[in-house]
Amino acid sequence: MEAPLPHIIHGQTFWLSAERVLYWEEQKALIVSDLHFGKTGHFRKAGIAVPQHIYKQDLQRLFHQVQHFKAVKLIVVGDLFHSKDNKELLLFTRWRKDHPLLEIQLIKGNHDILKNEWYEQSSITTVRNELVIGGFSFIHDPEEAISCSSESQYCFSGHLHPGITIKGLGKQSLRFPCFHFGEKLAVLPAFSLFTGISQIESRPGDNVFAIVENKLLKLQ
Amino acid sequence: MKLQDTKGYSVITSWLHAKERQPFLFQEQAWEQIIARRSGLVNAPTGCGKTFSVFLGALIDFINLHPSNYRSKTKNGLQLLWITPLRALAKDIGRAMDEVITDLEMSWKIGIRNGDTTTSERQKQKRQMPEILIITPESLQLLLAQKGYEDLFQTLRIVAVDEWHELLGSKRGVQVELALSRIRGIKKENPCSIIGISATIGNLDEAKEVLTGSVDPQAFTVRADIRKQIDIESVFPDEIEKYPWAGHLGLSLVSKVIPIILGSTTTLIFINTRGMSERWYQALLDECPELSGVIALHHGSIEQALRLWVEDSLHTGKLKAVVCTASLDLGVDFRPVETVIQVGSPKGVARFLQRAGRSGHQPDAVSKIYFLPTHSLELVEAAALKAAAIEGVIESRVPMILCFDVLVQYLCTLAVSDGFYPDIIYNEIRNTYCYQEITPDEFQELLSFITSGGTALQQYDEYKKVEIINGLYKITSRRIAMRHRMHIGTIVSDAMLKVKFFSGGYIGVIEEYFISKLNPGDVFTLAGRNLEFVVIKDMTVLVRKSSSKKSIVPSWNGGRMPLSANLGFMLRRKLNDACEMITANTAATDLELKVLSPLFTLQEELSHIPRADELLIEHIETKDGFHLFVYPFEGRLVHEAMAALLAFRISRITPITFSFAMNDYGFELLSDQPIPVDDTNVYDLFSDENLLDDIRRSLNAGEMAKRKFRDISVIGGLIFQGLPGEHKKARHLQSSASLIFKVFSEYEPNNLLLKQAYHEVMEQQMEEVRLRNMLRRIQQGRIAIQFPKRLTPFCFPIKVDSIRENISSEKLEDRVKRMQLQLEKK
Repeated sequence: MEAPLPHIIHGQTFWLSAERVLYWEEQKALIVSDLHFGKTGHFRKAGIAVPQHIYKQDLQRLFHQVQHFKAVKLIVVGDLFHSKDNKELLLFTRWRKDHPLLEIQLIKGNHDILKNEWYEQSSITTVRNELVIGGFSFIHDPEEAISCSSESQYCFSGHLHPGITIKGLGKQSLRFPCFHFGEKLAVLPAFSLFTGISQIESRPGDNVFAIVENKLLKLQ
Repeated sequence: MKLQDTKGYSVITSWLHAKERQPFLFQEQAWEQIIARRSGLVNAPTGCGKTFSVFLGALIDFINLHPSNYRSKTKNGLQLLWITPLRALAKDIGRAMDEVITDLEMSWKIGIRNGDTTTSERQKQKRQMPEILIITPESLQLLLAQKGYEDLFQTLRIVAVDEWHELLGSKRGVQVELALSRIRGIKKENPCSIIGISATIGNLDEAKEVLTGSVDPQAFTVRADIRKQIDIESVFPDEIEKYPWAGHLGLSLVSKVIPIILGSTTTLIFINTRGMSERWYQALLDECPELSGVIALHHGSIEQALRLWVEDSLHTGKLKAVVCTASLDLGVDFRPVETVIQVGSPKGVARFLQRAGRSGHQPDAVSKIYFLPTHSLELVEAAALKAAAIEGVIESRVPMILCFDVLVQYLCTLAVSDGFYPDIIYNEIRNTYCYQEITPDEFQELLSFITSGGTALQQYDEYKKVEIINGLYKITSRRIAMRHRMHIGTIVSDAMLKVKFFSGGYIGVIEEYFISKLNPGDVFTLAGRNLEFVVIKDMTVLVRKSSSKKSIVPSWNGGRMPLSANLGFMLRRKLNDACEMITANTAATDLELKVLSPLFTLQEELSHIPRADELLIEHIETKDGFHLFVYPFEGRLVHEAMAALLAFRISRITPITFSFAMNDYGFELLSDQPIPVDDTNVYDLFSDENLLDDIRRSLNAGEMAKRKFRDISVIGGLIFQGLPGEHKKARHLQSSASLIFKVFSEYEPNNLLLKQAYHEVMEQQMEEVRLRNMLRRIQQGRIAIQFPKRLTPFCFPIKVDSIRENISSEKLEDRVKRMQLQLEKK
């Protein structure tokens, strides 16, 4: 694993990691999006035999990142859980109980449909639309971020599972998940490995970091 | 029991006499086998009484059993199960059968069972089975998903599998094999005959074996000895020098087609893909507006009612011409058809002859077929086809083996209805051709896949599909059962969306793949109409009529058959003739070659025309980079594999990245650095040593397997294609085949469905056997390496007709960095 890359926005330092997380140094907060925990379980309950190990690995990656950065806060920019409750989520709640000091804030995404009591029991603070911390706001769907955040705010979002295609001579092309930093809006890569990619369109002046295997590659 | 002495025979022959007809010899032979209750194969072309060879046999058999009351006897239960690959055929066959039954004053009922059969009709059939049931392979699987299905087959005496050559070699054929194994299992005490009807293919004996299973050494073959004379003629451009070197459409020859259409009663114009058929239909109307109203379009995406109308109008001779695709390859004959035009390569001899046979149905009439090239070089194919037709070089259909996806689907099907006991089913499937090699371990693995979902995290898993209740494997969840039933029909891959007008009115279906590339407001063509794409809603594409002149013609993924080995062989022979014609000035016997001589002269001037035992390789440098063109004439799929193999072997010499393109004649490697292929290493690069290892290591296998996995994951129940009305309930269950492929490759690399994807790549995609034969042929011949100064007539179609793939021996990261550098340089 390569060392994280620093990225400065409005004078604050955000460390980018190829494990698809962002660490906000000043706030000691780990920022992630689209974890889709319980997705394999949801599929399996419906008779679709996807391997469950991918979920276990997602969990371990998250736990490791929290530990690695010694984060005190976890900001989830939506889609923490994939669907309805299933037994797989116990693996998450068990870890949660062992780490009661970590503050977890969830900006609800379209997949976060669990009952409010569930979040309360797991000590997860939820926000319906927008979380604001200083000059930064967190909104799940970038479409909504465009309309509702104020002029001076910088916004982090997810939802899209952004990816970028790199083209070369001889008509070669490759696709990778990526971090996409626009002028006022960043879209985070989906944390879960059990997710697809949707192509982003970047504008001149944007910063794009492709996640190529275990490394980050700055493209713009 | 002698056939001629039976009551049934006399009833049937006197009916035929009344119609002033006589049984053909092969029909009588088939009837003899049927009353002796044997299984086997009837080999007969379309349109010479093949249906009657089995159907009338079934009637004779029944009359013999009930000589006194065969007319009045009703409610006999299912007697004859008629499996047909196309649901469009069911009606015509049913109609023909009904006529006979009415004439004979018998009380038999005929039922049709396919995707269009209404629920109430199905319920009625459940209460009282008709004596004859005409069914598609998918619907037969659905029948096995019905509770108490075993009872339906108790009375059954004959199963006929129509157009078996079409089903053989496909997964639908495997569905038939499985269903037959079950029927044989149910009727162990009281077996029924299984009779296939097939056109001529290269491996008839194998076709019979697949059908009857390894259990029947007594199986018969009856051949109809009917040889039809075929007249093949090419449509030539006026000036070959001006005819394009590459292309798919051949539209500039439209004006040549009009006189042919006007000169015959009815003409069928076969086009290789649906998209191109739309273009041809338009072009014909533009060229000759008087044809409006008497020409029609027929392909798989067109609304069924319209297709049926076209077929009816063909029967009654109301249409002057029909532009069609493989959709009209099969089925009953259209007597008014006098002429057939084949546009572009038919890819195989058998297909070409079958299409030719769609014309000229009067006894002793000659089948007339025109070949219209879509680019100049394709004319050589006409010469090759003529020679092949004379020599009777017909392709084989290779049956599929070990399709785990179809087996997973089948096991779930049985689990949905009455449940199954693994031992019984294992023994049954071991007797099919497809699964004769399945090991107990593999079967066990499939069972555990459907009962416990492979390896799971202990204690946190709620996997649920098939449950084991006292040894019986059963699906109890109604929701899972329902979803499974809806998915049985989806063996014909690709998600299809319905296309409807905003104001209502159904137009046809279209691949999701195509629509996903359109933006609202774009205009596309379907069923000969220009339509403006508005929105997708509930799996339906809503459109408006458009008067726009410009429109996008859908490019369908399917229907891209590779050139057959036989046709490739004939092609190389014809090029040999061409080479002699140019270099030794001998007169060519084929008009096609003579017409092409300016093109051949240029090819020989710039490069070389390969002889039958030669492999031509061309190095050409252009602003795109360094090209290497290779011409084995072995079909697109073998070329794809060979390109990957060659790229891999070259990349061991030096780190290099290629993209490649191919068509049926050859392939191209393109790189941004010179390609190190020369006299010193070329024979090693084309060696068949370490072939398997090298293929496996050529990175491309992963990409190819991923594509194969699309179908496999759908059939194996890993992907839910949002079905109409269902997709909302299947919330949060969407995923793509490529994602599932990635997940399995990383976390369960030994999964049988994943292995099958690689196996299919080797067997079908790479056509390993054919690839090996090709390499041996090349080793024994000469390799001619040329350095033309510019693009040659041979390479041009490949360069234009590019389906591109990547292969690289560089590290991914280096590759990205270098690609980026190139971008920045621009």
